[in-house]
Amino acid sequence: MKKKTSIPLLLLASGALLMHACKKDEKAVAPPVPGNEFLTTVKIRAVNTQDPADVQVASWTDTTLIAHPADSINTPVLNLKAHATYNAEVLFLDETKSPAGDVTSEIRERQNYHLICFSGSTSLPLTVKRTDLDTNSPALEVGLEDLFTTGAAGTGQLNVQLRHQPNAKNGSCEPGSTDADVTYTINIK
Amino acid sequence: MKQYLFIVFIVTAGQAGLAQQRDSLKQASLHEVIIQGSGPAAKPVATATQVELKNVQLFQTRGNSLGESLKSIPGLNSIQTGPSISKPVIHGLHSNRVLILNNGVRQEGQQWGSEHAPEIDPFTAGHISIIEGAASIRYGSDAMAGVVLLEPKALPENKLLGGTVSLTGASNGRMGAMSAMLEGAGTHQLEGLQWRMLGTFKRAGNFRTAHYYMENTGLQEGDYAATLAYHRRQYGLSVYYSSYHTKLGIFSGSHVGNLQDLDSAFARPRPITPSYFSYKIGRSYQVVHHDLFKANGYYNFNNGGKMELVFARQKDLRQEYDVDYPYSNDPAVLRAPQISFQIITHTADLLYHAPAKGPFHTLLGLSGSTQGNVFSGLRYLVPNFRNYSGGAYAIEKYTRGKLTLEAGLRYDYRWLRVYRRDEATLYLYQNTHTYANATATGGATYQPGGRFSVNANIGTAWRAPSVNELYINGIHLSAAAYERGDSTLSSERSINTTLGLKYTAPKLFVQVTLYNNQINHYIYAKPLLQSIHIISGTYPLFQYTQQDVRLRGVDAEADWDFTKHLTLVSKAAVVRGFNKSIHDWLVFMPADHFDNQLQYHFTSTSTWLQPYVSLQYAYTARQSRVPPHSDYVAPPAAYGLWNVSLGSDIAIGKRTLRADLTVNNLTNVAYRDYLNRFRYYTDDLGASVVLRLSTSF
Repeated sequence: MKKKTSIPLLLLASGALLMHACKKDEKAVAPPVPGNEFLTTVKIRAVNTQDPADVQVASWTDTTLIAHPADSINTPVLNLKAHATYNAEVLFLDETKSPAGDVTSEIRERQNYHLICFSGSTSLPLTVKRTDLDTNSPALEVGLEDLFTTGAAGTGQLNVQLRHQPNAKNGSCEPGSTDADVTYTINIK
Repeated sequence: MKQYLFIVFIVTAGQAGLAQQRDSLKQASLHEVIIQGSGPAAKPVATATQVELKNVQLFQTRGNSLGESLKSIPGLNSIQTGPSISKPVIHGLHSNRVLILNNGVRQEGQQWGSEHAPEIDPFTAGHISIIEGAASIRYGSDAMAGVVLLEPKALPENKLLGGTVSLTGASNGRMGAMSAMLEGAGTHQLEGLQWRMLGTFKRAGNFRTAHYYMENTGLQEGDYAATLAYHRRQYGLSVYYSSYHTKLGIFSGSHVGNLQDLDSAFARPRPITPSYFSYKIGRSYQVVHHDLFKANGYYNFNNGGKMELVFARQKDLRQEYDVDYPYSNDPAVLRAPQISFQIITHTADLLYHAPAKGPFHTLLGLSGSTQGNVFSGLRYLVPNFRNYSGGAYAIEKYTRGKLTLEAGLRYDYRWLRVYRRDEATLYLYQNTHTYANATATGGATYQPGGRFSVNANIGTAWRAPSVNELYINGIHLSAAAYERGDSTLSSERSINTTLGLKYTAPKLFVQVTLYNNQINHYIYAKPLLQSIHIISGTYPLFQYTQQDVRLRGVDAEADWDFTKHLTLVSKAAVVRGFNKSIHDWLVFMPADHFDNQLQYHFTSTSTWLQPYVSLQYAYTARQSRVPPHSDYVAPPAAYGLWNVSLGSDIAIGKRTLRADLTVNNLTNVAYRDYLNRFRYYTDDLGASVVLRLSTSF
């Protein structure tokens, strides 16, 4: 009889022991994963084909991930000359660290999965032509390098989207999902 | 001896009332009839309507996920994320408001998201039932909608070696599931020793809608479980271990980065993802592991009382891999999931069944649990936490003649501490929340004649807010939604009233359940009608908030035996969810559902035992009761599905083979269901031919 009643007690004791023995892993909150690149900044760098000294840069930055200053979102402006052509690059950066991480190279590595799409407001006298190609066959445009051709003076919005199209890239913007979606104000003078 | 062995079973599941008796009559010659002992606590009357799945009904769900398996019960639906992920919905409520008891243990996983399916192999269950009313407070305070009880069938008494092999094959997804079980009992010196082992493997590739395949919707699942039990006249002891592993592909067409992607996805009549079949699971996918260890013991006192103790440890690891690799060169980062959660839960339950005193039966219990959750990932979603909770309860039952009264009282305390890191200073800080509440329930059943019975139940329940409701801050990629928690949320409290009417005659069975569930401080993610702009795009913002809601509904079932061979089974489930704070409907409530099935039972021959053929038409109405601007797209149109099945038990020598051939969605209708989150992107499943075989030895 004594032996029998001890069984629940034994179980209770072993249960208590097991509960006590578990580690409190949750107290060790993981720091941000080192080496991971956050996408915080989309930068356009345009160089006038006629005048290498005419370099224009505009940065769209979302520093929601950076603590100070928090949640700052700027409204970038790119100034271009009328009736000109520019060799433009689109750069993707991780500014959560210093120096900033280069996400552009990761995208170039996976260029067969990515497409950069541009759409300008109707009032904007600017045409954008992608000049780089990936290694799909047939090769498809990527958009990290582009040719900007301006018309008469004017102003408008240019939307730039980084489309992520794993196993679905077909040259159009439609498949896949959006990794970055930012809008610049373009002034053409 | 039998009486003691089945006592656990009886208390939890034996209260199925007349429905079970009736089912037993109907299926008396099938070989898996539930054996009912007659312990002191067993009384096949409950004060709330209870329903269960067993025998042929359960067999016809083999190979389905748990959420899908329960859909044949009136009042139950499933909320789905594509073809492979589903979870049960009871009377319009789901996730943390539905308790799932897996072999006597509260299932503790990451159950808060609609894309987080219960980590349970339904093949381990020999019996699935839904418990509401007073009996449910035994399992926890937070069973606002009810308790889903999955129980293995009883272990063998004196069979040295036995087993079951089940095979399921389905044309859609080219799905195959196999489950094998071996069990036995010791004899002579080893008398009282019982064991069982079970293994399940399941695999499916891309599922198909009426017109196209859904890319990357395959799944792979591998599970095993083992039980060892020892029982004597006065005491018994058992240990159980189960391990569940799954890898689930997420439909490629559901990846959207922002609102614009979502809008263009809706606008398409069909997804632009390629339509082909493959078993390959690419990014994105989920990997889930759930391990459960359980030890329980009972002791029967000489005075007729009984003490039970259950201890369990569960570990649930959930990893989600996004559609793309992270932007990194580090191979370790590239291999890692974007989001990972690991929750470890320890629970202990002590129960005392007091000896019967005349018409009174008393059940007393204590339960305690501790839980630690570790979140890691490349983007923040929810914080780490530690949770301690304890509860005490008493259930009293009084039976006299035609009347049964039941009442329960429960008190719970919960302590929750979250651990977070300040993103600016990397300094660790913590917040602590405590919740304490009482739960009460009472019910009565009155059975004036032999055929008619009426039951009424009133109960309160409360649920403390979960960590995601308090602290989530991030993007739900599949829905392009940005969700924000609110750490000041208080507990939800419900008052649920049910009225059940039942009529059982030799040729007619009718059961109607009416319910009115009033939930104050109901927590849900409310669309703020404003957007948040981050670099990946513009997302609609959802904020967790509390409002007073009311859920009302009717579940009905009528079985009419026209002749000895022909039966019509009709079921209806109607639920109305109303948000009293905004004086408008509550979103994401199941649409009205009607199900009619005509069954023809052939006369058995010496080879063909209980052969049947059935034709089913299941109609789901359009959900027209949604507030404006509450969802991205209007609810989908009504749809009706034809299903046909035929089956029999086939005697082959000494063995019996159970076989069932079903064609689901016979006419290959293209439809979308309101409770399927992927209705934004794709149609639901097209036709499928399913063959199920099972044999025991």
